[in-house]
Amino acid sequence: MPDISPDRIEEAAASLRAVTAGGTPIAPLRDTLGTNDPTTAYAIQEANTRHWLSNGRRLVGRKIGATSRAVQTMLGLDQPDYGMLFADMAFTDGEEIPFDRLHQPKVEGEVAFALKDDLDGEGLTIADVIHAIDYALPAIEVVGSRIKDWNIKILDTIADNASADLFVLGTRPVALADFDPVLCGMVIERRGEPVSTGAGIACLGNPLTATLWLARKMVAVGRPLKKGDIVLSGALGPLAPVTKGDSIELRINGLGSVRAHFG
Amino acid sequence: MRLLAELARTVDEAARTATEIPQLADSHDLGLEEAYAIQALSIRRRQERGERIIGMKMGLTSRAKMNQMGVHDVIWGRLTDAMRVEDGEAIRFDRYVHPRVEPEIAFLLKRPLEGLVTMAEALNAVEAVAPALEIIDSRYRNFKFSLPDVVADNSSSSSFVLGAWNRPDIDLSNLGMVMRFNGRPVQVGSSAAILGHPGRSLAAASRLVAASGLRLEAGWIVLAGGATAADALSPGLSVSLDVQHLGATGFTVK
Repeated sequence: MPDISPDRIEEAAASLRAVTAGGTPIAPLRDTLGTNDPTTAYAIQEANTRHWLSNGRRLVGRKIGATSRAVQTMLGLDQPDYGMLFADMAFTDGEEIPFDRLHQPKVEGEVAFALKDDLDGEGLTIADVIHAIDYALPAIEVVGSRIKDWNIKILDTIADNASADLFVLGTRPVALADFDPVLCGMVIERRGEPVSTGAGIACLGNPLTATLWLARKMVAVGRPLKKGDIVLSGALGPLAPVTKGDSIELRINGLGSVRAHFG
Repeated sequence: MRLLAELARTVDEAARTATEIPQLADSHDLGLEEAYAIQALSIRRRQERGERIIGMKMGLTSRAKMNQMGVHDVIWGRLTDAMRVEDGEAIRFDRYVHPRVEPEIAFLLKRPLEGLVTMAEALNAVEAVAPALEIIDSRYRNFKFSLPDVVADNSSSSSFVLGAWNRPDIDLSNLGMVMRFNGRPVQVGSSAAILGHPGRSLAAASRLVAASGLRLEAGWIVLAGGATAADALSPGLSVSLDVQHLGATGFTVK
């Protein structure tokens, strides 16, 4: 980890919060700090997580980002990244999303998992993950960037809570055994036009594999996944831009559909 | 007409001998109608050599393909029996100019389809559906062409491989598809990328061929169009496709 003082970490974290509070997007933090180091980036993210938790936001889950090779190559990563999901980021199927709260938004289609057990301890396996999953839901993740023009590299996106903004969950839970997480087709439609298509395998080969990565990582960093947590396991296809007034529908074959309205 | 016949001979010879040619549009002012006339004449030359028409293909049906080719229209081409490669067979790389492959869905018709039809009518004429890989091979240098160029060149169609036929009572609107090279995923998509539903492509096929005085015949195979961008083939590759609910198909390149 490069020599970045705690003050500068706090400063960077505060500069991101200022954008969340309504400020204009900022210049890439990697330039401001002169580093693209992921450890520094997670330190900034963690500073904000602590800030939000002490200010009463409730942690309800995690998101996994950079789950496709294309995105990893774009960012210069060789593994996924993660961010925190707070209760106020969760929207329900068809609920109106205040567009003005978003930051250069784009949408992606994902499989969300809800956990019925903690995923803690060393040496977690895929079987542990499968046992711990209560059900799956289709989820639209609305990503955003507090960095100007989405000019992001590893440090920028990780520091910025993995470019999370909010997410929309479907309401018909599906058991793991009742859909194919690898070959399930995914489409996002806007005005009847497919704007993003893909399949489960686009997420690290399998959304469950991505979830195992996350579960182990969360144990390693001391914030293990808990019973009741939601995991947004990663995009099944390319990002699609959205504008104010858009209404989009995500369909995942076997998981059902979910809609997002941007008012 | 003599000019069209001459251009048909040019594209036919290019395909037959796997030789690249400059774009026709570089030296001729061709419209889409003339381009389809050249395609018909070039396929007639194949028929005169004993090939039989067994169906048609749709092209540029996905946003990814349109972006890749820089065009914005759905196009079609003809399939002959000589273009069919058996599931699991090896193709010879030197029979092609610069072949690419893309994942598709294939329809087998049990009844003819003529002119304007709804998607429901089109799907009612379907006997079976199968996973399909289409080998596209533009005969033009650097795979670069205008819309009339590609249409004249049988819409780049070159060969195709089909998996086993399935009963058609499957919802085709959003089937996950993964194409692998040597076991590694290279393209991931959904059948939704094919005009939102492959059935729309079949209905469009019926409408489009009517402009050339044709109908889709019972027993014909219709390739609905690529669900993702195409990838370049090279000798030694093993190519496979898995389609949700439809099964798999594949071939190798030697």
